[in-house]
Amino acid sequence: MTKLSLLLTSVVLLNAGLSHAGPIEDQIKYRQSAYSFIGWNTNKIKAQLDKPETFSKEEVIAAANAIAAAANSGLGALYGSGTDQGEGWRKTRLKSEFFQKPDEAKKLATTFNLEANEFAKVAETGDPVQIKVKFGKLTQSCKACHDSFREKDPK
Amino acid sequence: MQKQKIQIWDLPIRLFHWLLVITIALSYLTIEIGGIWADWHARLGALALGLIVFRVLWGFFGNKQARFSQFFPTPSRLIQYFKGQWQGLGHSPLGALAVFALLGLTGVVVITGLFANDDITLFGPLYPLIDQSLSDWMTGVHAIAFNALLTVIGLHLLAIFFYWLVKKNNLIKPMLTGKKYLEIHHHTDQTKAEAKPVYFFISIALTLLVVWLTFGNVLTDLLATKPVPQAPSSQSQW
Ligand code: HEC
Ligand code: HEM
Repeated sequence: MTKLSLLLTSVVLLNAGLSHAGPIEDQIKYRQSAYSFIGWNTNKIKAQLDKPETFSKEEVIAAANAIAAAANSGLGALYGSGTDQGEGWRKTRLKSEFFQKPDEAKKLATTFNLEANEFAKVAETGDPVQIKVKFGKLTQSCKACHDSFREKDPK
Repeated sequence: MQKQKIQIWDLPIRLFHWLLVITIALSYLTIEIGGIWADWHARLGALALGLIVFRVLWGFFGNKQARFSQFFPTPSRLIQYFKGQWQGLGHSPLGALAVFALLGLTGVVVITGLFANDDITLFGPLYPLIDQSLSDWMTGVHAIAFNALLTVIGLHLLAIFFYWLVKKNNLIKPMLTGKKYLEIHHHTDQTKAEAKPVYFFISIALTLLVVWLTFGNVLTDLLATKPVPQAPSSQSQW
């Protein structure tokens, strides 16, 4: 009996190790890395919008594409159950509510994906005014998810 | 009993009060909407910082009814007040408690805001001076202090309605006009209530200095230990 459960456990663990999103700590790490990377690109764009003399169409497009690519990479896979507890690069800030309100979570996540892709299109225009407005929409979609599902303070 | 119109709130106090009301309301609105309005949250923060710094200075150097020492709610004053014996112009000892709570909490909100971040595009002007985890903590305190501030504002409003409806004492009008009809039987000394104009200008100058040091990136340039985020350079070739 114990041998059987031991066997089962190791099979489960092995599976977890092989599945795409990995064990909890890995998911949290990838997740934090993904958002850090997104944040880096967001701030590059913001810096250029704040200082028009530094505005470079190519750099904004590159950053916008990077954000869209991250959004389109299937970030949902990094939200496996149990990933509201534990440590990646640091303690996770995902709220447990994320799993209690799957509909809201899905809505916020897809809104972000949509805005990220829309923004990448607008970036192509190279028009700072349009870009700024769309960028506002994009960062609103970040904030909506953070307000609902990210702890204010590290746990 | 003869009544006389007496100036109880000077212009700087009244301006401070209503500008702060507007600033807090708009700060709340802009952060809730987010997006392109997030920038305005920080700009309003500069105004809020200026207002608080000015009020503190005015509390030491200002006109009589503005001075903290005049209305500091000492236990003996509070006891007097609850026995119904307190007489005076300006803040009652209970009102004074509210004043210090409101000023203190707004101060905490503003100071933590200077170091706060939202991980998206909003970073307080002093964010570069501390590390991320401390900034995250400050951000948490910023939100908690704001909620506490809202609670005290609620109590403040309740008290004003209570005075209005039950005690038939309209406190709002004097805060707009500065003047109030009062029976002139109390001993409050009306003379020497005015601060010298030079104190007003010194207070304004110090206020502008503080706002410039923080929001003009002067402190961060002097003290930063980590590089201040720079616009990307197209120097990197890959
Ligand atoms: C679907 C919800 C969601 C959306 C949309 C979202 N985030 Fe987040 N973000 C999170 C969660 C959850 C965390 C905490 C991750 C953790 O600690 O496990 C986070 C963390 C972060 C972090 C900190 C990463 C770290 O170092 O730990 C940054 C930076 C960030 N987000 C920026 C952004 C930006 C910029 C956007 C929009 C362009 C955005 N996020 C959109 C949910 C979201
Ligand atoms: C009167 C002054 C201020 C008021 C009333 C105020 C109010 C608020 C409120 C209500 C929030 C939202 C908190 C929440 O999500 O629960 C917030 C967030 C924030 N504030 Fe302020 N604030 C003030 C000043 C400042 C200043 C001076 C700065 C610095 C520039 C600042 C920076 C921030 C940042 C970065 C956040 C984002 C926190 C987050 O989304 O996690 N604030 N503020």
